[in-house]
Amino acid sequence: MTAIDLSIRAAAAEIELIGVTKSYDAKNTIIPAIDVTLRPGEFTVVLGPSGCGKSTLLQMIAGLERVSGGRIVIGGREVQDLEPKHRGCAMVFQNYALYPHMTVAENMAYSLKVAGVSKSERAERVATVAKMLGLADYLTRKPSQLSGGQRQRVAIGRAIIREPGVLLFDEPLSNLDAQLRHDMRVELAELHRRIGATSVFVTHDQVEAMTLADRILILNKGHIEQFDTPKAIYHHPASVFVAKFIGSPPMNILEVEGDGSVLRLADGQVVANYSGTGKFQLGIRPEDIAVNEGGSIKTEIRYREDLGSHEILETKIAEQNLRIAMPFGVEIDTTRTLSLSFPQARLHLFDGDTGRAIANAFGGAQPASVKEYQ
Amino acid sequence: MVENARSINIAASILLAIGILYIVGPLYLTLSTASQSYEYMLRNGLAWVPGTELFANMGKVIHDTRIPVQMLNSMIVAFSNALATCALSFLSAYAIVYFRIRWAGVAFALILATIMLPLDIRVITTYQVASNIFSPLNGVLDFTGLNSLIEMVFGAPVQLELSVLDTHFGLIAPLVAHGTGTFLFRQFFLTLPKDLFKAARMDGAGPIRFLIDILLPLARPSFASLFVLTFLSGWTQYLWPLVGASTPDMQTAVVGLARLVPDADGQVPDFPMIMAGAVLVSLVPLTMIALLQRFLVQGLVLSEK
Repeated sequence: MTAIDLSIRAAAAEIELIGVTKSYDAKNTIIPAIDVTLRPGEFTVVLGPSGCGKSTLLQMIAGLERVSGGRIVIGGREVQDLEPKHRGCAMVFQNYALYPHMTVAENMAYSLKVAGVSKSERAERVATVAKMLGLADYLTRKPSQLSGGQRQRVAIGRAIIREPGVLLFDEPLSNLDAQLRHDMRVELAELHRRIGATSVFVTHDQVEAMTLADRILILNKGHIEQFDTPKAIYHHPASVFVAKFIGSPPMNILEVEGDGSVLRLADGQVVANYSGTGKFQLGIRPEDIAVNEGGSIKTEIRYREDLGSHEILETKIAEQNLRIAMPFGVEIDTTRTLSLSFPQARLHLFDGDTGRAIANAFGGAQPASVKEYQ
Repeated sequence: MVENARSINIAASILLAIGILYIVGPLYLTLSTASQSYEYMLRNGLAWVPGTELFANMGKVIHDTRIPVQMLNSMIVAFSNALATCALSFLSAYAIVYFRIRWAGVAFALILATIMLPLDIRVITTYQVASNIFSPLNGVLDFTGLNSLIEMVFGAPVQLELSVLDTHFGLIAPLVAHGTGTFLFRQFFLTLPKDLFKAARMDGAGPIRFLIDILLPLARPSFASLFVLTFLSGWTQYLWPLVGASTPDMQTAVVGLARLVPDADGQVPDFPMIMAGAVLVSLVPLTMIALLQRFLVQGLVLSEK
């Protein structure tokens, strides 16, 4: 029975959003206009703070919300005016939304029943999916008799049983505890590899985004801030918003001013060489700051947090907060002034007004073009 | 349990005993009187000792009065009332909770407001409408001046007339629409996972399918409790059946029971027979409660199981 794993396999569909907008009334625009293409079989994580429109975006793809404008194309078919059942999408909800009065098997088979699939085929498909998700022993139980992780698995089973071309996830892990969340993450990644459906996963959790995504779409107030691989987003954030959103602790952002040759903090300390003039925002990750290696930037520790594997030092320079991550085992004399240096190759420079990244500011590796998704 | 002290326990037990006595006392008096003969009652007044005439008295009720036919009327009225109330409340709550309707809040407030306007208050208007169910329409036509227009064109104004007094429909319809049921179902729907409707839509089930496949089975306890409650209130209705039905064959059992007391002065009512009738009439709701009390509690608790 080894072939059984392959029997649920979706024909992944490409999803194209063309000028998609959403507004509830003239004043409340949730999504101004989004153009994006999700490749067939790709796992896209839509990441953003609450209220950024990410769930609305997902529901528009699913057909649970109407678009106010623009087109949605799934697998070459324009679907924005179709009912959800005609779009070839399936969805996993945050609170599972299982039918409380049905057994696990009935829950998973319901969509097939509605579609008029024969009883014997329904049983067969349920058996396949249940085996795949380790639910075979629970088929006759009601959702109330299952644990959170099992319920979520049933919800996933219900979604994949129709072999949809598109799988949509609306914060499916946020109701689980930390350990279970990790396990489910691993399972989801594996499941995606096996099923191969184009997946869209909405979350506000950057760890889920970083670990699951082929590409992360970062949404802020309905705008795409960046759409790129997790690596590119971490190492080359396209804007201050992305830089602050990804990474734990997040990237330090310092207000600096360029005089044509160097960048200075408000108190006059030179932090980097740069030929531009005017106001900039300088980003550096806490773990990239070099401490006590003959650096010229002086600061004092205000607070230290020992996290075991590493230590976070809270400091202030020129009235701005600066976090430093120290690897385990490095002893720091907390009573003395620290001298810091910012390795030029690790710096990120952003425009002082727009917050967009400035490419090639210090030579070296650079932010990926924002154009890639357009 | 708030306190466990012995003195409080004793006090609570005494209070409880008084309460039970208060409730059971009249019931006992009813039963014991029902089991005595008319002659015994004429001699001794209401009986505190049970006698042997219960079945004879019941037989008298069944053979000599209209109570059997009136119980059938009560059955029809209470049953249809309960069924129609359940259906109407379920559908209106479904519309209010699951669809984005303009003014849904206002509509719900208006429905709730009917709780504050029970039939007893609007019995005269209800009687007017029941005596001619087209009277509101006629009123609107008169008020808007449409009728004078129609009179000019056709020579006569529209005056439709249809009385539902003295019919089962007339007895049932005014009882059906009230806010309690809608409220009960609404509260129940709100305890369900809120993405259920969306999940069903993703599964390909439209609103009707969702209603039948998902909501209906889930709402079974609520249905049962609302059914029992409205059945009981329909069975015990007094004012409206009294006004709405004028012939003995259309009246309900509760009204018929009251009519067993003779109108003429100076005649001592046959209390044993009346009490036997009361026992008979109570049997139906008692059976109902005995059979469905589990649902009654379940549906009112409103918890997700």
